[in-house]
Amino acid sequence: MNLALSNISEKKDFIVNSSSLKDVRSFSREVFEKLQLEQDLKDELVLAIAEAAQNIVKHAYKDIADTSDKMEITISLKNNELEIGFFDKGRAVDQNNVRHRKIDDVKPGGLGTFFIQQIMDAVVFKEGEKPWINHLVLTKKI
Amino acid sequence: MTYKVTEEGNISTVHLDGEIDMDVTEKAKEVIMPLIEAKKEVHLNLKEVQYMDSSGISVLIESHQKANELGTKVTLKEISKSVLKVIMMAKLEQILNLD
Repeated sequence: MNLALSNISEKKDFIVNSSSLKDVRSFSREVFEKLQLEQDLKDELVLAIAEAAQNIVKHAYKDIADTSDKMEITISLKNNELEIGFFDKGRAVDQNNVRHRKIDDVKPGGLGTFFIQQIMDAVVFKEGEKPWINHLVLTKKI
Repeated sequence: MTYKVTEEGNISTVHLDGEIDMDVTEKAKEVIMPLIEAKKEVHLNLKEVQYMDSSGISVLIESHQKANELGTKVTLKEISKSVLKVIMMAKLEQILNLD
Protein backbone atom coordinates (compact mmCIF):
# COMPACT_ATOMS: atom_id res chain seq x y z
CA MET A 1 0.00 0.00 0.00
CA ASN A 2 1.25 3.45 -0.89
CA LEU A 3 0.88 5.63 2.21
CA ALA A 4 1.51 8.90 0.38
CA LEU A 5 -1.54 8.82 -1.89
CA SER A 6 -3.18 12.20 -2.31
CA ASN A 7 -6.86 12.70 -2.90
CA ILE A 8 -7.86 13.24 -6.50
CA SER A 9 -11.02 13.67 -8.54
CA GLU A 10 -11.04 13.60 -12.33
CA LYS A 11 -13.69 13.09 -14.97
CA LYS A 12 -13.91 12.86 -18.73
CA ASP A 13 -16.55 11.98 -21.27
CA PHE A 14 -16.23 9.78 -24.31
CA ILE A 15 -18.41 9.02 -27.33
CA VAL A 16 -20.00 5.59 -26.78
CA ASN A 17 -18.07 3.68 -29.41
CA SER A 18 -15.49 0.91 -29.40
CA SER A 19 -12.98 3.32 -30.94
CA SER A 20 -13.16 5.38 -27.72
CA LEU A 21 -11.80 2.53 -25.60
CA LYS A 22 -8.18 3.46 -26.26
CA ASP A 23 -8.96 7.01 -25.09
CA VAL A 24 -10.59 5.57 -21.96
CA ARG A 25 -7.38 3.66 -21.26
CA SER A 26 -5.23 6.75 -21.89
CA PHE A 27 -7.32 8.85 -19.50
CA SER A 28 -7.15 6.14 -16.83
CA ARG A 29 -3.40 5.71 -17.22
CA GLU A 30 -2.87 9.47 -16.91
CA VAL A 31 -4.85 9.62 -13.68
CA PHE A 32 -3.10 6.59 -12.17
CA GLU A 33 0.24 8.02 -13.24
CA LYS A 34 -0.49 11.07 -11.07
CA LEU A 35 -1.25 8.74 -8.17
CA GLN A 36 2.06 6.93 -8.67
CA LEU A 37 0.47 3.53 -8.23
CA GLU A 38 2.49 0.37 -8.77
CA GLN A 39 2.55 -0.77 -12.39
CA ASP A 40 0.70 -4.06 -11.79
CA LEU A 41 -2.09 -2.29 -9.91
CA LYS A 42 -2.32 0.39 -12.61
CA ASP A 43 -2.61 -2.28 -15.31
CA GLU A 44 -5.37 -4.07 -13.42
CA LEU A 45 -7.34 -0.89 -12.78
CA VAL A 46 -7.03 0.20 -16.41
CA LEU A 47 -8.32 -3.22 -17.48
CA ALA A 48 -11.30 -3.01 -15.10
CA ILE A 49 -12.20 0.48 -16.33
CA ALA A 50 -11.84 -0.49 -19.99
CA GLU A 51 -13.99 -3.60 -19.47
CA ALA A 52 -16.74 -1.56 -17.80
CA ALA A 53 -16.64 0.98 -20.64
CA GLN A 54 -16.73 -1.87 -23.14
CA ASN A 55 -19.84 -3.25 -21.40
CA ILE A 56 -21.57 0.09 -21.95
CA VAL A 57 -20.74 -0.05 -25.67
CA LYS A 58 -21.68 -3.73 -26.00
CA HIS A 59 -24.72 -3.98 -23.77
CA ALA A 60 -26.26 -0.61 -22.83
CA TYR A 61 -25.94 0.44 -26.48
CA LYS A 62 -26.56 -2.96 -28.04
CA ASP A 63 -28.04 -2.58 -31.54
CA ILE A 64 -27.54 1.19 -31.38
CA ALA A 65 -24.93 1.98 -34.00
CA ASP A 66 -23.18 5.30 -34.53
CA THR A 67 -24.60 7.09 -31.53
CA SER A 68 -23.37 10.56 -30.64
CA ASP A 69 -24.18 9.89 -26.97
CA LYS A 70 -21.39 10.22 -24.49
CA MET A 71 -20.51 8.24 -21.42
CA GLU A 72 -18.80 9.90 -18.47
CA ILE A 73 -16.11 8.31 -16.37
CA THR A 74 -15.08 9.71 -13.01
CA ILE A 75 -12.07 8.58 -11.00
CA SER A 76 -11.69 9.78 -7.45
CA LEU A 77 -9.52 8.82 -4.54
CA LYS A 78 -10.39 9.75 -1.00
CA ASN A 79 -8.79 8.28 2.10
CA ASN A 80 -7.12 5.60 0.01
CA GLU A 81 -10.44 4.41 -1.42
CA LEU A 82 -10.62 4.57 -5.17
CA GLU A 83 -14.08 5.14 -6.62
CA ILE A 84 -14.67 4.88 -10.35
CA GLY A 85 -18.03 5.99 -11.73
CA PHE A 86 -19.53 5.26 -15.14
CA PHE A 87 -22.55 7.18 -16.40
CA ASP A 88 -24.42 6.44 -19.60
CA LYS A 89 -27.74 7.14 -21.32
CA GLY A 90 -28.18 3.73 -22.91
CA ARG A 91 -30.65 0.96 -22.18
CA ALA A 92 -31.29 0.56 -18.44
CA VAL A 93 -29.18 -2.23 -17.02
CA ASP A 94 -31.00 -5.00 -15.17
CA GLN A 95 -28.49 -5.96 -12.51
CA ASN A 96 -29.94 -9.48 -12.43
CA ASN A 97 -28.75 -9.97 -16.00
CA VAL A 98 -25.18 -8.91 -15.25
CA ARG A 99 -23.19 -12.02 -14.61
CA HIS A 100 -20.06 -13.56 -15.99
CA ARG A 101 -19.98 -17.01 -17.53
CA LYS A 102 -18.84 -19.96 -15.45
CA ILE A 103 -15.08 -19.72 -15.60
CA ASP A 104 -14.60 -23.43 -16.33
CA ASP A 105 -17.11 -23.32 -19.19
CA VAL A 106 -14.49 -22.17 -21.66
CA LYS A 107 -15.97 -20.25 -24.55
CA PRO A 108 -15.50 -16.83 -26.11
CA GLY A 109 -17.20 -13.96 -24.27
CA GLY A 110 -18.47 -13.32 -20.76
CA LEU A 111 -15.12 -12.55 -19.18
CA GLY A 112 -15.26 -8.76 -18.88
CA THR A 113 -17.50 -8.77 -15.82
CA PHE A 114 -15.40 -11.54 -14.29
CA PHE A 115 -12.25 -9.42 -14.68
CA ILE A 116 -13.96 -6.40 -13.11
CA GLN A 117 -15.09 -8.47 -10.13
CA GLN A 118 -11.65 -10.02 -9.74
CA ILE A 119 -9.92 -6.64 -9.70
CA MET A 120 -12.31 -4.42 -7.74
CA ASP A 121 -13.59 -4.75 -4.16
CA ALA A 122 -17.16 -3.76 -5.01
CA VAL A 123 -19.32 -3.35 -8.13
CA VAL A 124 -22.61 -1.50 -7.62
CA PHE A 125 -25.23 -0.58 -10.22
CA LYS A 126 -27.34 2.46 -9.47
CA GLU A 127 -30.12 4.20 -11.29
CA GLY A 128 -28.58 7.22 -12.95
CA GLU A 129 -29.75 10.69 -11.98
CA LYS A 130 -30.98 12.74 -14.95
CA PRO A 131 -29.73 12.95 -17.65
CA TRP A 132 -28.08 9.62 -17.00
CA ILE A 133 -29.83 6.24 -17.18
CA ASN A 134 -27.15 4.01 -15.68
CA HIS A 135 -24.58 4.70 -12.99
CA LEU A 136 -22.04 2.00 -12.23
CA VAL A 137 -19.70 2.41 -9.28
CA LEU A 138 -16.51 0.41 -8.86
CA THR A 139 -14.55 0.76 -5.63
CA LYS A 140 -11.25 -0.52 -4.34
CA LYS A 141 -9.20 0.19 -1.26
CA ILE A 142 -5.61 0.90 -2.31
CA MET B 1 -2.95 -3.14 -33.64
CA THR B 2 -0.66 -4.09 -36.49
CA TYR B 3 0.42 -7.55 -37.60
CA LYS B 4 2.83 -9.46 -39.78
CA VAL B 5 2.45 -13.03 -40.99
CA THR B 6 5.43 -15.26 -41.77
CA GLU B 7 5.28 -18.77 -43.21
CA GLU B 8 7.56 -21.72 -42.65
CA GLY B 9 6.35 -25.05 -43.97
CA ASN B 10 2.87 -25.65 -42.59
CA ILE B 11 3.39 -23.17 -39.75
CA SER B 12 2.04 -19.66 -40.07
CA THR B 13 3.28 -17.22 -37.46
CA VAL B 14 1.17 -14.15 -36.80
CA HIS B 15 3.16 -11.42 -35.06
CA LEU B 16 0.68 -9.12 -33.36
CA ASP B 17 1.72 -5.68 -32.20
CA GLY B 18 -0.03 -3.05 -30.08
CA GLU B 19 -3.19 -3.15 -28.02
CA ILE B 20 -5.92 -5.72 -28.65
CA ASP B 21 -9.39 -4.63 -27.61
CA MET B 22 -12.95 -4.83 -28.88
CA ASP B 23 -12.17 -2.31 -31.59
CA VAL B 24 -9.65 -4.57 -33.34
CA THR B 25 -10.86 -8.10 -32.64
CA GLU B 26 -12.61 -8.44 -36.01
CA LYS B 27 -9.37 -7.45 -37.74
CA ALA B 28 -7.43 -9.99 -35.66
CA LYS B 29 -9.93 -12.73 -36.49
CA GLU B 30 -9.79 -11.86 -40.20
CA VAL B 31 -6.05 -12.54 -40.09
CA ILE B 32 -6.04 -15.65 -37.89
CA MET B 33 -9.16 -17.60 -38.82
CA PRO B 34 -8.41 -18.15 -42.55
CA LEU B 35 -5.04 -19.64 -41.58
CA ILE B 36 -6.75 -22.09 -39.21
CA GLU B 37 -9.40 -22.89 -41.80
CA ALA B 38 -6.57 -23.66 -44.25
CA LYS B 39 -5.47 -26.18 -41.58
CA LYS B 40 -2.19 -24.42 -40.97
CA GLU B 41 -0.55 -24.76 -37.58
CA VAL B 42 -0.72 -21.22 -36.25
CA HIS B 43 1.75 -19.56 -33.92
CA LEU B 44 0.57 -16.30 -32.39
CA ASN B 45 3.57 -14.25 -31.33
CA LEU B 46 2.42 -11.91 -28.55
CA LYS B 47 5.76 -10.38 -27.62
CA GLU B 48 4.75 -6.90 -28.78
CA VAL B 49 1.20 -6.93 -27.47
CA GLN B 50 1.16 -4.42 -24.61
CA TYR B 51 -2.51 -4.77 -23.71
CA MET B 52 -5.24 -7.34 -24.21
CA ASP B 53 -8.76 -7.25 -22.78
CA SER B 54 -11.55 -9.84 -22.62
CA SER B 55 -12.31 -9.33 -26.32
CA GLY B 56 -8.75 -10.28 -27.19
CA ILE B 57 -8.96 -13.29 -24.88
CA SER B 58 -12.11 -14.32 -26.75
CA VAL B 59 -10.16 -14.31 -30.01
CA LEU B 60 -7.57 -16.62 -28.42
CA ILE B 61 -10.28 -19.00 -27.19
CA GLU B 62 -12.13 -18.96 -30.50
CA SER B 63 -8.90 -19.63 -32.43
CA HIS B 64 -7.93 -22.45 -30.08
CA GLN B 65 -11.34 -24.10 -30.33
CA LYS B 66 -11.56 -23.72 -34.11
CA ALA B 67 -8.12 -25.27 -34.50
CA ASN B 68 -9.08 -28.21 -32.28
CA GLU B 69 -12.23 -28.69 -34.31
CA LEU B 70 -10.24 -28.78 -37.57
CA GLY B 71 -7.46 -30.98 -36.22
CA THR B 72 -4.76 -28.35 -36.16
CA LYS B 73 -3.20 -26.25 -33.40
CA VAL B 74 -2.75 -22.66 -32.24
CA THR B 75 0.27 -21.98 -30.01
CA LEU B 76 0.91 -18.72 -28.19
CA LYS B 77 4.56 -17.68 -28.41
CA GLU B 78 6.67 -15.14 -26.50
CA ILE B 79 3.67 -13.96 -24.50
CA SER B 80 4.20 -10.50 -23.03
CA LYS B 81 3.93 -10.14 -19.26
CA SER B 82 0.74 -8.08 -19.45
CA VAL B 83 -1.01 -10.58 -21.75
CA LEU B 84 0.10 -13.54 -19.63
CA LYS B 85 -1.40 -11.88 -16.58
CA VAL B 86 -4.78 -11.56 -18.30
CA ILE B 87 -4.62 -15.18 -19.56
CA MET B 88 -3.94 -16.29 -15.99
CA MET B 89 -6.71 -14.11 -14.60
CA ALA B 90 -9.06 -15.91 -17.02
CA LYS B 91 -7.61 -19.23 -15.77
CA LEU B 92 -6.73 -20.26 -19.31
CA GLU B 93 -3.07 -21.14 -18.86
CA GLN B 94 -3.94 -24.85 -18.75
CA ILE B 95 -6.41 -24.63 -21.65
CA LEU B 96 -4.57 -22.64 -24.32
CA ASN B 97 -1.25 -23.84 -25.75
CA LEU B 98 1.38 -21.60 -24.20
CA ASP B 99 5.01 -21.76 -25.25
